[in-house]
Amino acid sequence: MTIKACTKCNRITNDERCPVCDLPSSTNWSGLLIIIDPDKSDIASELNINIPGEYALRVR
Amino acid sequence: MEDSINSIYALKTSVGQEKNVARMLARKVKDSGIEINAILIPESLKGYVLVESSSKIDMQNPAIKVPHLRGMVEGKSLITFEEVRRFLKPEPIIASIQKGSIIELISGPFKGEKAKVVRIDESREEVVLELIEAAVPIPVTVKADQIRIIQKEAD
Repeated sequence: MTIKACTKCNRITNDERCPVCDLPSSTNWSGLLIIIDPDKSDIASELNINIPGEYALRVR
Repeated sequence: MEDSINSIYALKTSVGQEKNVARMLARKVKDSGIEINAILIPESLKGYVLVESSSKIDMQNPAIKVPHLRGMVEGKSLITFEEVRRFLKPEPIIASIQKGSIIELISGPFKGEKAKVVRIDESREEVVLELIEAAVPIPVTVKADQIRIIQKEAD
């Protein structure tokens, strides 16, 4: 099973399409960011992330 | 940007196990209630994970024990958010490549070969290369993430 990342929200998923944005996901991604508590995290607010989960830093 | 009490700690891991450590740590956080808000693994920082927490992380805490986690980087100064921001928005590789640069191919059929950059296509993130050791110069087009810069600008 390949791990993919959404090209728009950078969310990491196993599906062909992002479950949040419904856009095609890409296998070409790098960097990993795990957001556990988006309300308290500065990194999450910097990147406008408000759903906990795994994100890629760069997706192409 | 509001003032916050969050600090960023660097944890040392085995090289290549950064993602596994981060995922195990994330699972532990949910189970044990250690205060970690985010875990960051920049591609350029091998062997480390950055952890954002609102409280001091106690490495003695048995809940934080994760395989391949080697300890915390202790230092006088904490990592500032400005330093982390650099990792959050990585500049595209293509911006650091110049025409005439000597590069090495790191994947694909020409892996390990050295080449000279002939042309750069920024919109498609592609570079046109000429293999140095080839007898006849043939232009090869590859994606920008398949190369590693050896020498910035050739004379």
